Amino acid sequence: MSEHDDAPSVPDGPVLSLRGVSKSFGGVRALVDVDLEVHEREVLAVVGDNGAGKSTLAGLLSGVYRPDEGQVLLDGAPVVLGSPAAARAHGIAAVFQDLALVDDLDVVENIFLAREPQRGPFLDEITMEREAWGLLDQLAASVPSVRQAVRTLSGGQRQVVAVARALLGSPRVLVLDEPTSSLAIRQTAEVLNLIEKLRERGHAVVLVSHQAGELQAVADRIVVLRLGRVHGIVDGDTSYEDLLAAMTGAVRPGRAPRGGGPGTGSPRTEGGVLR
Amino acid sequence: MSAVQQRGSLTQIELAGVTGLSPATVSNIVKELSTAGVLHTSPSTRSGRRALLVTLARNLGLVAGVHFGTRSLRVALADASMRVVADQRMPLAPDHRADTGLQRAALLVSELVASVDAGPEELLAVGVGVPAPVDVRTGRIATVGMLRGWDGVVVPEILEAELGAPVTVDNDANLGALAETRFGAAVGHEAVAYLRVSHGVGGGLVLGGRLVHGRAGVAGEIGHVTIDENGPICRCGNRGCLEMFVGANVLLGMLSESRGHLTLRDVIARAREGDPGCRRVLFDAGQHLGVAAANLCNLVDPEIVVVGGQLAEAGETLFDPLRTVLQQRTVPSIAGPVQVVASELGSAAEVRGALAVALDSVRVGGALGVVGA
Repeated sequence: MSEHDDAPSVPDGPVLSLRGVSKSFGGVRALVDVDLEVHEREVLAVVGDNGAGKSTLAGLLSGVYRPDEGQVLLDGAPVVLGSPAAARAHGIAAVFQDLALVDDLDVVENIFLAREPQRGPFLDEITMEREAWGLLDQLAASVPSVRQAVRTLSGGQRQVVAVARALLGSPRVLVLDEPTSSLAIRQTAEVLNLIEKLRERGHAVVLVSHQAGELQAVADRIVVLRLGRVHGIVDGDTSYEDLLAAMTGAVRPGRAPRGGGPGTGSPRTEGGVLR
Repeated sequence: MSAVQQRGSLTQIELAGVTGLSPATVSNIVKELSTAGVLHTSPSTRSGRRALLVTLARNLGLVAGVHFGTRSLRVALADASMRVVADQRMPLAPDHRADTGLQRAALLVSELVASVDAGPEELLAVGVGVPAPVDVRTGRIATVGMLRGWDGVVVPEILEAELGAPVTVDNDANLGALAETRFGAAVGHEAVAYLRVSHGVGGGLVLGGRLVHGRAGVAGEIGHVTIDENGPICRCGNRGCLEMFVGANVLLGMLSESRGHLTLRDVIARAREGDPGCRRVLFDAGQHLGVAAANLCNLVDPEIVVVGGQLAEAGETLFDPLRTVLQQRTVPSIAGPVQVVASELGSAAEVRGALAVALDSVRVGGALGVVGA
């Protein structure tokens, strides 16, 4: 809570950035020479067509993949995010499309999975349950009981549990991969409200999605990925048509207001990237 | 009865505990009242045992209120006594479109209705507020270019087909004015001026206790009162409108050079923390609002001026200069300066107004002949 009390009045340096990062899977170049940065109190949206490299980017930021080339910088210093656990230790948490919940465990057990607080030789169930409710309350979540098996929850409720788990320990950077793809509209609304709230509390949020309308509702800046390259970085209030044009490659957005350093993503597409 | 009313819903066993009656007596009373159609029971479980959940029957029906802001959508449901039973907000993309926006609103209303265990047929009426002038007789967006993608859209046509209930549409600031007059900061006043200052700038006038719409719904559009006749061109096509001086985009634009991408809420928070630039921006906005409000007050002489919208959350940083300028520029009256207050309902004002017009339409239309208070 206190990390933003001393918020300076000028834009800070980026919390997390990528410098010239490339990643291939076999012969497929998923990401090519990507430069990117995200600041505190900022929602950076990543948008692109299927196979543009969105999920690979989320994986690189959260320690699932390691770049073949280039660097990941935390507060300007290079770091190696060897695993999701290492990323968490650096204050970077992620929620992926598959949510990775254990169906047979209840909500509290899922939230604290592998990070259970202990009191003596026992699990500190009381603290766990209280903290679980605290996290879920923050998300204005409608989970009926924290002692219910996750299997019995709806898609939206499962999403909320996954986000609550990511929020445990108050990470500085939260990476959300397609957080609304399987949700009904009311839960989508909840997730978007939540992202606004996270931003207000000073978190940096990286939001990956192909639903441009939803991204635009909450994003400060939008990174357009196309065929593994950064095709442009635009302001959150860019018009829908311009964004769509950038996604489909019809035109290249001319301006890169912040962070779109030199050499950022030339629109050449002969990189030959396959889905 | 009042035990159920207070808690909304509780099980029969809990009801016995609360009232101090024996479970058997409670069971009898509940049975009697549910055959009379006053209470509604549904099976549920409590600590693993079967239990009977008791709620007030909503057989009087529900109304929905929808508020399209420039950057957000808010939907609420209320029962026939204006008690809000569900409320959901959703951020929207900048210059969102009428078709997708209305579809989302319709979906959200349906989901909210389902979430309170009601059927779609229980929805009696819908009230909608949009950030543009509306011809209230037809529900058509009455201007061109004010709300991109919404020009000439007849909102009820689209929503009635989706929801199967009559739809009433009005300008959002008008609905805010109505809500503040009936339930908020201007209760007891007959002549009320409401300024809604958020992403856009709107206004609503209540005279003699009724909303003023004018010829085609443009009445009260204070956002497009001229502040500087040589000023920048506004989206409405005019020059130097109030909105070009206090609209969110303009305020944020002034700060973006030195402070990066902020939201209106960031600016207000930073001003409160003492950021001089953000305070200055709010101070100037207050002065501009004062000029426009003074013109309005000289014309209609309202009993009270209510300022709503997100910018009203800035508090005295905004209100001090607003009051000062307003006082300087209005005709001095023996009644003293007009009262200027912040909205009491805050961001819920417009949606409450939408609920109110929906309920009004049902009362007038006769679907609800008699309504308990």
